[in-house]
Amino acid sequence: MTKTFLKNKTFLIFRILALMIIIVAIFAPVFAGGIDPTEGNLMDAILPPSDTHIFGTDKMGRDIFARVIYGSRISLSASFAVVAIVTLIGTFLGIISGYFGGVVDAVIMRIADMMIAFPGLVLAMAVAGILGASIRNAVIAISIVTWPKYARLARSLVMKIRHRDYVAAAVVTGSKTPYILWRYMLPNTLPTIIITAATDIGSMMLELAALSFLGMGATPPAAEWGLMLSEGRAYMQSAPWLMIFPGLAIFITVVVFNMLGDSLRDILDPKNE
Amino acid sequence: MKRTKLFALGLAMTMAATALTGCGGSNSGSADAGTGTTQTADGEKVLKFGCQMYSDGLIDPAAQTNCAWNAMRYGITESLFKFADDMSVVPWLAESCDVSPDHKTWTIKLKDGIKFSDGCDMTATKVKESLDRVRAEGPNGSSTPEKFLEYEAEVTADDAANTITITTQTAYIDLTGNLAHPVMAITDVADTSDWNNGTIGTGPYVASKFTDRVGYDLVKNENYYEAVPYDKVELLYMGDASAKAMALQNGQVDLVENITNVSDIQKLQEDDNFTVDIASGVRTGFAWINQAGVLGNDTLRKAMLMAIDYETICQSNTIGGLYTAGFSVLPSSLSYNYDKLTNPYEYDPEAAMKLMDEAGIVDTDGDGIREIDGQNINLTVVSYENRLLNDFADAQSQYLNKVGIGTTAKYGSSDDQWTSLVAGEYDLNQNNWTTVATGDPIDYMANWYSKCDSDYCGYENADYDALYEQLLEEMDADKRVELITEMQQILIDDAAVLVDGYYNSSMIYSKNVGYAHIHTADYYWLSTEITPAD
Repeated sequence: MTKTFLKNKTFLIFRILALMIIIVAIFAPVFAGGIDPTEGNLMDAILPPSDTHIFGTDKMGRDIFARVIYGSRISLSASFAVVAIVTLIGTFLGIISGYFGGVVDAVIMRIADMMIAFPGLVLAMAVAGILGASIRNAVIAISIVTWPKYARLARSLVMKIRHRDYVAAAVVTGSKTPYILWRYMLPNTLPTIIITAATDIGSMMLELAALSFLGMGATPPAAEWGLMLSEGRAYMQSAPWLMIFPGLAIFITVVVFNMLGDSLRDILDPKNE
Repeated sequence: MKRTKLFALGLAMTMAATALTGCGGSNSGSADAGTGTTQTADGEKVLKFGCQMYSDGLIDPAAQTNCAWNAMRYGITESLFKFADDMSVVPWLAESCDVSPDHKTWTIKLKDGIKFSDGCDMTATKVKESLDRVRAEGPNGSSTPEKFLEYEAEVTADDAANTITITTQTAYIDLTGNLAHPVMAITDVADTSDWNNGTIGTGPYVASKFTDRVGYDLVKNENYYEAVPYDKVELLYMGDASAKAMALQNGQVDLVENITNVSDIQKLQEDDNFTVDIASGVRTGFAWINQAGVLGNDTLRKAMLMAIDYETICQSNTIGGLYTAGFSVLPSSLSYNYDKLTNPYEYDPEAAMKLMDEAGIVDTDGDGIREIDGQNINLTVVSYENRLLNDFADAQSQYLNKVGIGTTAKYGSSDDQWTSLVAGEYDLNQNNWTTVATGDPIDYMANWYSKCDSDYCGYENADYDALYEQLLEEMDADKRVELITEMQQILIDDAAVLVDGYYNSSMIYSKNVGYAHIHTADYYWLSTEITPAD
């Protein structure tokens, strides 16, 4: 398996790129050259890219380069948080539901069905709208609408092995239920769940940016890519750099994480072995 | 498989690059502008007008204030009087007005030969019916006609003399200004069957077709008392300022009102294909200061005003040109002695910090935010996307953060803003008000009169209240100006209001239009002044 990881060039390239993005996020103050992304001078508002401000300035006179760099912090941490939350909750509920079946399964799955009945982003907007605009609430909103996907996945994987002989053997030899869940059920779901989670990082990032763009995520003066797009929208014609750079940042990051997830699937997919 | 993926990636990048080039191609649209035609194949002159939609485009003056504005702005209704650009009241459908010495009996002579768009004569009886109807319907809507003419007032019509007489119980300082308000527009009550979208008025245009969320088809009023320059007006709703600018540039519309992006306006100003008409309006952008919250602290309020550089904000590329900087609640362009007022809280961040330091409002925990009673100062700034209010809120927050005053932005819809204002859940609440809706600021100044329901910020000053009560009684115009000047100075001295500036309205048109003009009172958009190019 380790060999496969090293052999796969696409995975290697995108792993390096993803690492680079994470490094940029961690060392944002260094990359931004010590410029505060929330501090600006109105006299320097909406200046085109130049030597002083290589990505130009926004409507509050803030340096767009610094804001794009710092934006990676919010985008990455928030999308990792969403993915972590939905993976944990979804997998846990899915395993329980698949293993126990009956009423437990029916209750969990009906709740999941309710969530799935609405278009994801629309429901997320409704939840974020009720909770109020903040990046934390956006994370909660997207988590609420995304966990059923993981729960259904984990449930179906568990149901596939639930009645296998080795599970029955574990039961008759006196294994405790938590042990069975942990030792037999979870490992069977993990590869698929991990692939799904990895490919979801990009789309979660897009959904978070979408909520911020609509005014339901990050609030001013936060340096968040979706919010920056929203703030620059009015200047799309006259000062396109307000949208181009945060747009490119979202584009590049989403592509990198999507490709990373894709290549991870290629590696972990048993069919490719 | 990998090759396919790489191809897909390459394709995606190309598409993204193309899309971005599309965004940046700023001048690509303007080539069409001005070359379009204002005439249809059958020789009709057509104006395409892009504007903001308010209150779903309804045009019943009695339903909501915005509906009344719609009807007048679209050139459907007119009123007995109107506001000139210096905000003086001049006759419109009326010819003259006589008032009794006690200001309780107003005799208005109507112009001869005025007809409604359905061909009916505008008789004194019709005018009485209109004024009676708007007040009868008042309680069913939110136009509050009683603010302009009390319910108890009696209107009598004399068709032979073509006059109406209005007898009121309260003395009105100048009823003609009240009658100039769009809510008091004259409509044909007996013949209007569709008040929502087919109100019959005396204006140059008639609503012939309404398409929800799209706009109106307006046609020429064949019975209008003057020549009407266009046979047809296609009025299209455009909520987004950028959309308006782009529609104008690519020739989709000939005329738009109020583009609120400074950069778009500047671009259009530099382009010979377009004319930008900007009027210093009667609107003030300001933030209510909630006296019940942390800003009840006098020192903090004063320091806050000193920390914000209004001049720079209004001159910046973000706001520039659309607001004129000022420190009083009434626009400097109105004749209420702005130049005699003094501002003790000029921009001076050092002095602001010193003032707070001396009052013990300091940052003890080193987080960059000052504290009052051990609590970080964190002002809740409520705003909504209208007339650059969010930009003001952002800019002000930026200045406040620099002197150690923390802020939290709470931006939403205009409903959210209003709800939080009424509920008192804010520290700063941004909005933009018409200051002299009836040619006089008395209603607007009531916003700080402690005995009035509209004192939403909880401001209280006995001197201000006394002056306001005097103003209610005072009939002499010069003395009123003196009182209003004093009241403004009190608000300034008390640091009662955070003034953004005075909003300038705009109207922008392409070469298809010969002349258009935006008025100081923004009740009038489509009028016979707007003419096609030769």
